Amino acid sequence: MAEVILNQVGKTYPNGYQAIPAIDLHIADGEFIVLVGPSGCGKSTLLRMVAGLESISSGELLINNQRMNEKEPAERDIAMVFQNYALYPHMTVFDNMAYGLRNRGASKDEIQRKVSDSARLLGLTDLLERKPKQLSGGQRQRVAMGRAMVRHPQAFLFDEPLSNLDAKLRVQMRVEIRQLQRQLGTTTLYVTHDQVEAMTLADRLVVLNKGHAEQIGSPLELYERPATTFVAEFIGSPSMNLLPVSITDQGLQLTEQVSLQADTKERGAVIWGIRPEHLQPCSESEADFALQVKAVEALGAESLIYGHTAGRSELLVVRAPGPFTPAIDQMLYLRAPQQQWHLFDINTQQRI
Amino acid sequence: MTVTFPQRPLPWLLLLPQLLVTAIFFLWPAGQAVKQAFYQEDAFGLSSEFVGLENFSHLLHDPLYYASIGTTLFFSFAVAFVGIALALLLAVMADRVMRGQIIYKTLLIWPYAVAPALAGVLWWVMFDPSTGPIAVWLKSMGINWNHFLNGNQAMTLVVIAATWKQISYNFLFFLAGLQAIPRSLIEAAAIDGASPFKRFWTVVFPLLSPTTFFLLVVNLVYAFFDTFGIIDATTSGGPGQSTKILVYKVYDDGFIGLDLGSSSAQSVILMMIVGVMTVIQFRYIERKVQY
Ligand SMILES: Nc1ncnc2c1ncn2[C@@H]1O[C@H](COP(=O)(O)OP(=O)(O)OP(=O)(O)O)[C@@H](O)[C@H]1O
Ligand SMILES: [Mg+2]
Repeated sequence: MAEVILNQVGKTYPNGYQAIPAIDLHIADGEFIVLVGPSGCGKSTLLRMVAGLESISSGELLINNQRMNEKEPAERDIAMVFQNYALYPHMTVFDNMAYGLRNRGASKDEIQRKVSDSARLLGLTDLLERKPKQLSGGQRQRVAMGRAMVRHPQAFLFDEPLSNLDAKLRVQMRVEIRQLQRQLGTTTLYVTHDQVEAMTLADRLVVLNKGHAEQIGSPLELYERPATTFVAEFIGSPSMNLLPVSITDQGLQLTEQVSLQADTKERGAVIWGIRPEHLQPCSESEADFALQVKAVEALGAESLIYGHTAGRSELLVVRAPGPFTPAIDQMLYLRAPQQQWHLFDINTQQRI
Repeated sequence: MTVTFPQRPLPWLLLLPQLLVTAIFFLWPAGQAVKQAFYQEDAFGLSSEFVGLENFSHLLHDPLYYASIGTTLFFSFAVAFVGIALALLLAVMADRVMRGQIIYKTLLIWPYAVAPALAGVLWWVMFDPSTGPIAVWLKSMGINWNHFLNGNQAMTLVVIAATWKQISYNFLFFLAGLQAIPRSLIEAAAIDGASPFKRFWTVVFPLLSPTTFFLLVVNLVYAFFDTFGIIDATTSGGPGQSTKILVYKVYDDGFIGLDLGSSSAQSVILMMIVGVMTVIQFRYIERKVQY
C-alpha cells in the first residue's frame, strides 16, 4: 500500500507528439482514482508511465516517496490489469497467477498459499487447472484480477478492464472490483471512458482533456460544480445543456423574447448550463420557457425529451422521471430553477 | 458456391497442360523407379531381369547405406537446428526495430530467391581452399581449410550453404509469429518481474512453438530432399562418403555407379519417407495452434 505522487509528469513521444504536457496528481494511500476522458486524451499514456511501460519525459513519479522514473516495471511493485487481460495463453490459471511470485523467488508453499487465497476470494478455485481459452470473458477478467492481487502490490493499475464484457457482467464486475479494492486497501489508478464506471468507482475523478487535467475531485463535486464546460459536458448522461446567452439588467436572455430572472452580478455574454434532469416540466403559467418537442426516448424509468426553444437552433434535452411521452411538435413547458444553473465564461470556458 | 461449366471437355482441357507435366515429369519416372526397384540390369544396360526384393535386401545389408542415413540425419537436423536458431535470433532483433523493418525483411528474403545450385556455387567460391576469401581468412586465423580433404569441413560447408538459403523462409515465419504475440503479454510479464531473457523463454518461445514445430518439419523435408543442388555444387558428396546424403546417393549410385536397381530401390524408400513426412506436416497444420 502506498502513496503515489506525480509531480509535473509529462510525456512527449519519440515522434515529437506531446501526449501529456504536465500533470500533478497526489494519490493518497488506499485511494481509488479514476482517470476519464475522451479517446486519445492520454489516459493510457499516463497509466503506462506509472507502470514503467512508457518512459517519463519530464517531471517526477514517486511511489512511497521513492523516485520511480528510472525504475523497471518489476521494481515498482505495481500490478496492472490490461483491457485484453493479457493472460499467458499457454499457462494454466494457477501458473498465470503464480508467474509473478515465481519470478520473485517465492517458495513453493508461499505460492500455493497465496494463489489459493486469491483464487478463493475471486471464486476461481475450481478453475485453477484450466487454460485461459477455456474460460468465459468474465472468468478471464477475474484471473487477470487474481494475477494482480496475488502479489499484494503497492498499487493496482487498470486500463479499461471491463470494456470487453457485456453490459450486465460489467456492472457485476464493477461492484466486485470496488469491494475487493476496499477489502485490500490497495491504492488504485483506474482508466475508463465509461462515465458510470467512473462515477461509481472513484474516490476521486481526474478528467483529462488533451493531456491536461481539467478537474480533479470527488464524483459529486464534479457533477455539482464542474470547473469547465468540458467537464460539464463529460460528466453526466445525457450531457448538460450548454447555451451561449447574454445576461442583461432584464435577466438572462435565452432568446429575444424570453428572459429568465437572474440574481447575478454577471453581465454580458456567458455560457449557460443546466442538466437535463434539472429542467422540470410544469404548467404554462409556471413556465420559464417552452420547448417544441422533436424526439422522445422513453426508457421506462425515465424519458428523454429533445426539442428546440423558439428562435434557437440548439437541441435541448430534458430528463423526466417515469414514462412521460409528450407528442412530437407539442410545446413542453419547463422550469429552470436558478440554483441549478451553471455559468461559464464564454472565452475561457471556466466556471464563473 | 460451385462453378459449373457448360460442356464437359472444357475443364479437362484447361487442366491438361498441368496433368501432362505431372504425368511426364513425375508419375511416369516415379512408376519407372518403382518398377526398376524390382529388376536388376546387367553391366551394359542391355537386359534386365526380375529379382523381387533383392535390391532392397542388398540395401538393408549395406553398411554404406546406413552410413548415408546417418549422414542425412546429421545433416538435416544440423540444417534445421542452425537455420531455425539463427532465423529466430534475426526475427527477434528485427521485431525490436520499428523503423527500417521493411529493409531488413527485404534483404533477408533475398537468399530465398537464389536457386540452390547457385547458392552452392556461391559458397563453393567463398570457401575454395586456395582462392576463396573465407578459406584464406580462415587460414590466416590458423585453421587449415580444405573441404576436399576434410570430411568434417565438407559437412560444415554444406550445412552452411543449405542453411543460408532456408534462413529467409524461417525468418519470415518467426517474424510473423512474433508480431502476432500481443505486446501486452510481454508487458504483463515485465510487470510480473521477468527479465528480458526469462520473458523470452517463458512467454515468447512457448507461444512460438507451433511455428517452430512447423518450421522443423519443413526444414527437415527441405534438407532431406531439396539440397541435391547444393551438395552437387559444393562437395559432390565427398570427400569419401562424408556428405553423401540419401538423395545424393540415389543419383550417385544410379548415374555414376550405374546400379539402377539399387538406385531405384533407394528412390522408393525416399518416396515413402516423403509420404510419412507429408502426413505429419498436414496433420499438424490441421491441428494448428495447441496451447
Ligand atoms: N507510441 C506512440 N507514439 C506517438 N504517439 C502516441 C503513441 N502512443 C499514443 N500516442 C498518442 O498519444 C495520445 C494519447 O494516447 P493514449 O493511448 O494515452 O490515449 P487514451 O486516452 O488511452 O485513448 P483511448 O481511450 O482510445 O484508449 C493519442 O493522441 C495517441 O495518438
Ligand atoms: Mg487507452
